[in-house]
Amino acid sequence: MFRKILIANRGEIALRVLAACKELGIPTVAVYSEADRNALHVRFADEAICIGPPRSSESYLNIPQVISAAEIANVDAIHPGYGFLSENANFAEVCEASHITFIGPSPAMIRMMGEKDRARAEMAAAGLPVIPGSDGVVPDEDAARDVAAEIGLPLMIKAAEGGGGRGMRMVRTKRELLPAFHTARAEAEQAFGSPNVYMEKLIERPRHIEFQVLGDKHGNVIHLGERECSLQRRHQKVLEESPSPVVDAETRERIGKQVVDALRKVGYSNAGTVEFLRDASGKLYFIEMNARIQVEHPVTEMVTQVDLVKAQIRIAAGERLEDAVGTFERHGHAIECRINAEDPETFVPSPGRITAFRVPGGPGIRVDTALYADAVVPPFYDSLVAKLVAHGRDRAEAIARMHGALDGFVVEGIKTTIPLHKRILVEPDFIAGKFDTHFLDHLTASRGK
Amino acid sequence: MAKKSKSAAGAGTEVRGVDLAEVERLLAFMQQHGLEEFEYERAGVHIRLKRAFAHAGGAAPARPAELAAPVAHPPVPSAAGGGREHAAEAAPSDVHVIKSPIVGTFYTAPSPNADPFVTVGAKVAAGQVLCIIEAMKLMNEIESDVAGEVVRIFAENAKPVEYGEALFGIRPQGKK
Repeated sequence: MFRKILIANRGEIALRVLAACKELGIPTVAVYSEADRNALHVRFADEAICIGPPRSSESYLNIPQVISAAEIANVDAIHPGYGFLSENANFAEVCEASHITFIGPSPAMIRMMGEKDRARAEMAAAGLPVIPGSDGVVPDEDAARDVAAEIGLPLMIKAAEGGGGRGMRMVRTKRELLPAFHTARAEAEQAFGSPNVYMEKLIERPRHIEFQVLGDKHGNVIHLGERECSLQRRHQKVLEESPSPVVDAETRERIGKQVVDALRKVGYSNAGTVEFLRDASGKLYFIEMNARIQVEHPVTEMVTQVDLVKAQIRIAAGERLEDAVGTFERHGHAIECRINAEDPETFVPSPGRITAFRVPGGPGIRVDTALYADAVVPPFYDSLVAKLVAHGRDRAEAIARMHGALDGFVVEGIKTTIPLHKRILVEPDFIAGKFDTHFLDHLTASRGK
Repeated sequence: MAKKSKSAAGAGTEVRGVDLAEVERLLAFMQQHGLEEFEYERAGVHIRLKRAFAHAGGAAPARPAELAAPVAHPPVPSAAGGGREHAAEAAPSDVHVIKSPIVGTFYTAPSPNADPFVTVGAKVAAGQVLCIIEAMKLMNEIESDVAGEVVRIFAENAKPVEYGEALFGIRPQGKK
């Protein structure tokens, strides 16, 4: 087992990793920027090293500073958390070169899953269903027509080298195809320097379903069930739950097996999440894989009682899944609300000093947070205030507990999205489990923003 | 307040109105008793010290079976750094503090047997190399950004330093 672990992150996930290390009896080293001098992960770690000024690029993303800190603190492992350097294959390689174990997948896996095109191709080759689309770049009008005939309408034309909605066009009718093809190419060239586009079937009213996986370094892979993360605002997840209201046992078993087989084939290890879009007929299509622990991992932990972060550490130390995880069952239903420091209606960020902070408790309630009364939410990082998780014997009980918990969560001094979550929880369609990835954008648009 | 001519603080350094040796004794007292804040007032002198980092436990945490109560432990690098920062803050306002721009190991000399780049009392020019900080096997030369006299060396040779940690106190030339 590791002698000492450095946590290359901040906020609630740093505390989460710290907790896992403490349970395993492993001393911890926190790194922090000057803006986080009074942060809890700094205070609760055994050692703490300041690695830079507030800006992420000069601190939490600064590989030489992080590695330097690891060296002077003499650690033998680094946990990258999520975000920051967690999916930076280069960082994982630098760790290896410095004889420090990176607690996560191998650099090769991180790289594979980071290149979305390649991940799609590899997973398709390994047997996962993918969204029907062109095999790579669509070079000309003839190819565009062929692909459209093959995959059907509606479809999306997307820039091969970019993202963020640019170089993207939706095509609903045959007449729109060629004009859209040309404008997408022009936009892509303008935005990303390359006119290359690919085409993909458009899944209307999709639901976001993801599978949590764990693999060890001995070739074993398991899945721990799915999470539904369809409640997103501008592609940012707001509320997640497990199990999904629309995934039945047969689908879970079938897709779960396909996921496990595919990841075994490519040799995946440590934690990861395989993301799918589910169409109206119930078919799941692989879209991408996140090769790290995710923000919403507590939802799976509450349902399975498996400590995913401890498992990550134990796997990285060489343990087999049967020891690092053991046996588990899925019980009940869990929901997580991501509470952000934002105006609940305009979503304008609300950094500042927290003047009152009261966290709810009681049966089935878990709160992951790094904030406290008198803490200052800095403007330099993400706006996550807390992850509020409610577990119940079934979805109804989880929702009921979440109601009470939201009512009992008091944060003053800054604005939070607690009112938004209260609103979501009383929406009839949410309660009925009838929603897709457009649900939240519609809900928040109707309020004026 | 009585001035001591020799303080443990920095060989021969005298700072008007502040007994650095006493401050260091107080810091040691705080570390020994695991205190985060310490304030006292006497004969017109008001001292308030606050540690930047608190440590729960300090050394290796207990296995789940035995729960150890938090105990004050000898300072780990960051605690020592905290102490050094406060010593720097106790320096008078006409002293310019050179802080470390990186995390690494501080060396006063270019190599183990060589003479140090500078000693207390040395006159330095802007751009002159004061020390080396080793990070990831690379030797980074740290230069002074002012011309003046070295009045204090905060960091300890061959010890780790973090970002922003006080290294040198330089009294810019032209000031008494």
